[in-house]
Amino acid sequence: MEGFLQALAAGLLIGAVYGLMCVGLGLIFGVMRVINFAHGDFMMLGMYTAFYLFTAAGVQSFFGNAVGPFVAILLAGPVLAVFGYFVHRTLISHVSGTRTASLEGEGHYAQLILTLGIALILQNGGLLVFGSVLASIRTPLSSSAWELGPFFDMSIFLNKARSIDMIVSLVMMILLSLLITRTRIGKSLRAAADNPTAATYMGIDVDRAHRTAFALGCGITAIAGGLLATNYPFHPFVGLEYVIVMYAGVVLGGMGSIIGAFWGGMTIGLVQQMSTLILPTQLQNAAIFAVFLLIIFFRPQGFFGRMVERT
Amino acid sequence: MLRIEGLSAGYSAKPVLNDISINVGAGEFVAIVGPNGAGKTTLFKTISGIVKPSGGAITFDGVDLLAVPPPQRPHLGIAHVPEGRQVFPSLTVMENLEMGAMTESGRRDWQSNIERIFEWLPVLKERRNQFAGTMSGGQQQMLAIGRGLASSPKLLMLDEPSMGLAPSTADFIFERLIEIRRQSGLTMLLVEQRVAEALESADHGYVLEAGRVVLEGNNDTLRADDRVRKAYLGM
Repeated sequence: MEGFLQALAAGLLIGAVYGLMCVGLGLIFGVMRVINFAHGDFMMLGMYTAFYLFTAAGVQSFFGNAVGPFVAILLAGPVLAVFGYFVHRTLISHVSGTRTASLEGEGHYAQLILTLGIALILQNGGLLVFGSVLASIRTPLSSSAWELGPFFDMSIFLNKARSIDMIVSLVMMILLSLLITRTRIGKSLRAAADNPTAATYMGIDVDRAHRTAFALGCGITAIAGGLLATNYPFHPFVGLEYVIVMYAGVVLGGMGSIIGAFWGGMTIGLVQQMSTLILPTQLQNAAIFAVFLLIIFFRPQGFFGRMVERT
Repeated sequence: MLRIEGLSAGYSAKPVLNDISINVGAGEFVAIVGPNGAGKTTLFKTISGIVKPSGGAITFDGVDLLAVPPPQRPHLGIAHVPEGRQVFPSLTVMENLEMGAMTESGRRDWQSNIERIFEWLPVLKERRNQFAGTMSGGQQQMLAIGRGLASSPKLLMLDEPSMGLAPSTADFIFERLIEIRRQSGLTMLLVEQRVAEALESADHGYVLEAGRVVLEGNNDTLRADDRVRKAYLGM
């Protein structure tokens, strides 16, 4: 019982961060319908950006070991958003949006090759620039815990860094939901996702909406990556490990649903942690995909997916 | 207000529109009628910039429209109510109307516009928090019209508002359009397959066949024309 509660708590903590990570990808896919294979590598860049901001750019000495990591991580978001903005502008916009809307397959083949190419460049470029040594944004917070309880002689221990990670994720998620549902920009992103042609008739610049979504998606995933880096060491090829999880989360939540992507990521975090109760840790990822297949078998559109065709 | 001269356009080598000239004066109600595949929708898409023309000119209020990027055109005062309604299914009725009001004038006149739209099309008020994708075809058509009106347009372009609707619903929407025009004096350009109704309410009409204007005139001339009577009015 105690083990179960502990795994549940660990699952919720990591699940919230996975959720945020998936939302970044879900936003890009939902608005642009572009399969971005490089998204894990954008996250890797976010991890290194947070890492260097923390260690080399003076955030650690200025803000200390408690607040410092999170300041660095939140700053990595805008940095990667700007990076994503330029990647979209110089590369991705050439194979997506209004430019390819009239092509057969809407330019998906070129998008696949291009984003795979970007992934390779970022991975190998990362290896060249950052080296192959494992890095992490570890602080004393990462190895201390809050004790919850005792309830009926049982205590749950919550890792401090991961708990703050979860809170940051939830706050980001709430802010993003407000942006998407309440603001003019958010509504125009959803309109451009629903029907790009009709959005153009409304005077919405669809390519600009795509660029905004791509930048936002990169920034959000970068923050999620930084949060993960407080507990998990990373390297230039770490994106590959996560991008698969990201897609599983986005598909589970329902392609195109941003809230769904969060719950998809949450489900994956829970399954990953809970599976350790009955399976050896090496099988964590196998467990994720077993559950993934099971859910997709019964609910092919995902949790929040709509069965309606896009017009 | 809208002047189209010698316009040709198409999707590949084969042109869909061939040397088309159409003129819509301020305050006029112009109808373009013709059979399926005549190029009516392509004409609208060319005006909105979704299809690039291979020749000819379009001017709107003295502005060379072809030099204006497509997403900027609505801001000049052109509202396009597209074929098949094309409302945003995952947005609510109210959010759809807000998208219509993305233009500067739409934003400025939002309060008075929304009151008038709700007065003309009360079903939108009743259903303002419903997702557009869950409404019936007729309701979606009214939403598409309301969305067009929300931009405070100078020119309202309607692409087959009766398409796929029950005859009684289509009649109702026609009535609403005539009422809206009577009260607002808005310039309208209508594309329709329901030729009798379209010609009856329009000031001026064009008959489009296989990408060419084969006939034009005011509604009396057109309705008196033998070919129109035989082919479209069933007389």
